[in-house]
Amino acid sequence: MTTDDRQELPGSLDAALERLPRSIEPGRDLWPAIEAQLEPRAARPLKRWLWPAAAAMLLVVASSLVTASLLRRESAPVARVAPVAQELRYATASFGPDQQLGPAYDAARQELAQSLAQRIGRLPPQARRQLERNLVELQRASAEINAALELKPGDPLLEELLLNAYQDELAVLASVQQLTAGNGSGTMIDATRMQL
Amino acid sequence: MTRCSPAAFFHRARLGYPLLALLAAGPAALAGTPIEERAPADPAGQVEVSNTAGSVVITAWPRNEVEVTGTLGEGTERLEFSSSGKLTRVKVVLPRQSSRVQGTNLVLKVPAGSALAVNTVSADVTAAGVRGSQRLQSVSGNIHTEAAAEDVECKTVSGDVKVTGSGQPGLLTVTTVSGDADLSRVAGEVNGNTVSGAFTVAMGDTSRSRLRSTSGDLGLHGRLTPDARVDFESISGNVRLDLQGPVGAEFDVSSFNGDIRNCFGPQPVRTSEYAPGRELRFREGAGTGRVRIKTLNGDISVCNK
Repeated sequence: MTTDDRQELPGSLDAALERLPRSIEPGRDLWPAIEAQLEPRAARPLKRWLWPAAAAMLLVVASSLVTASLLRRESAPVARVAPVAQELRYATASFGPDQQLGPAYDAARQELAQSLAQRIGRLPPQARRQLERNLVELQRASAEINAALELKPGDPLLEELLLNAYQDELAVLASVQQLTAGNGSGTMIDATRMQL
Repeated sequence: MTRCSPAAFFHRARLGYPLLALLAAGPAALAGTPIEERAPADPAGQVEVSNTAGSVVITAWPRNEVEVTGTLGEGTERLEFSSSGKLTRVKVVLPRQSSRVQGTNLVLKVPAGSALAVNTVSADVTAAGVRGSQRLQSVSGNIHTEAAAEDVECKTVSGDVKVTGSGQPGLLTVTTVSGDADLSRVAGEVNGNTVSGAFTVAMGDTSRSRLRSTSGDLGLHGRLTPDARVDFESISGNVRLDLQGPVGAEFDVSSFNGDIRNCFGPQPVRTSEYAPGRELRFREGAGTGRVRIKTLNGDISVCNK
């Protein structure tokens, strides 16, 4: 409606329109309901079932780090071993196109990987090569599932596989950490100090 | 505790000065120092063994004693052997700063009811006839053992695992990074986890089985108990389930990129019109068991033969 149109309206209707309030207060506060609907989309939190799973993974990492730290203190270093496996450096752990496992998880995983990198050189050469190859394989698997999640966001199969892939990666890191822990920084692993 | 250092061995054996002179001639003369230890042991006690390189061979015998024979590798510091109460320990101790140590070959005879805990780095582990629980761990050594009704746990990085069961139900847990696992005549519950190893399981009755891999192939051949729970998961490894006898289970099979084949009849359906993904859900027989198989790229085959 243009100003010219309004001028053509009968006077009584025009006056009535003029008397209408410029804004109307709703009868009840609608914002909480709107906010509740908007919040999930804005924050994109992990699905409810992912939180306990992510927490469990963090627990595994934390306990492995504590164990490794305690065992490191117990063993006096007898020789220096050059750190190896520089490729054990992880990018941020993403969970599909727009979700991440968070900085705490990334930091814990990185610390576990760095600790392993300092010890991996004491593994028998063939086992070391296999381990490095397989850690790369685990990273490749996570990347592949993440790529699939770009195609099919929220797919339950892919989310389950990805979560388990991250768990498997941590399990391997923690397991090898335990196998090589308690050996100080000697040039080779001593089976008497391996963790059963 | 008995310490089987080379000097102690020669002293015990009363081999006299000529051999002590040989000992003084240098470490090379110590290569293959024989081991001979024996002590009473609890018939259901625990035997712990650790040996970095070489081999560990354990067999059960009907005596309440543990016997250790074999050869101590050149450069080894000593063999520790102790038996107290329910615990017998056999440890090959290495010098902390030497990297030139030859493998030690240990041959143990233990009471059949013993529980085993064995740790090695590159030494192969072989156990036979032991009925107690077993925890066998090696970085790159292979593990071969026989399982009875008690729990058996095998863990390696690159070593292969072979377990032969007796058909009695038990809990078997196998974890490798790249090592293959061949599990036969086992029953009850099997848990397997690997990155790239191939797992082959031949079971009698399976009540609970959970196998996971990143790229390794997984295969299970066996009979499902009525309340069986079977769970396979792999990213890019192929999964094959061959069932024997009558089958009564709900099947939930899905793959993002892999093929799904089955001998039961129903065909997999696409999960989306625009993206990859197939799933196959069906009920066979009474449907009281549960079979779940998930892969990203691996092919899946489910058959009853």
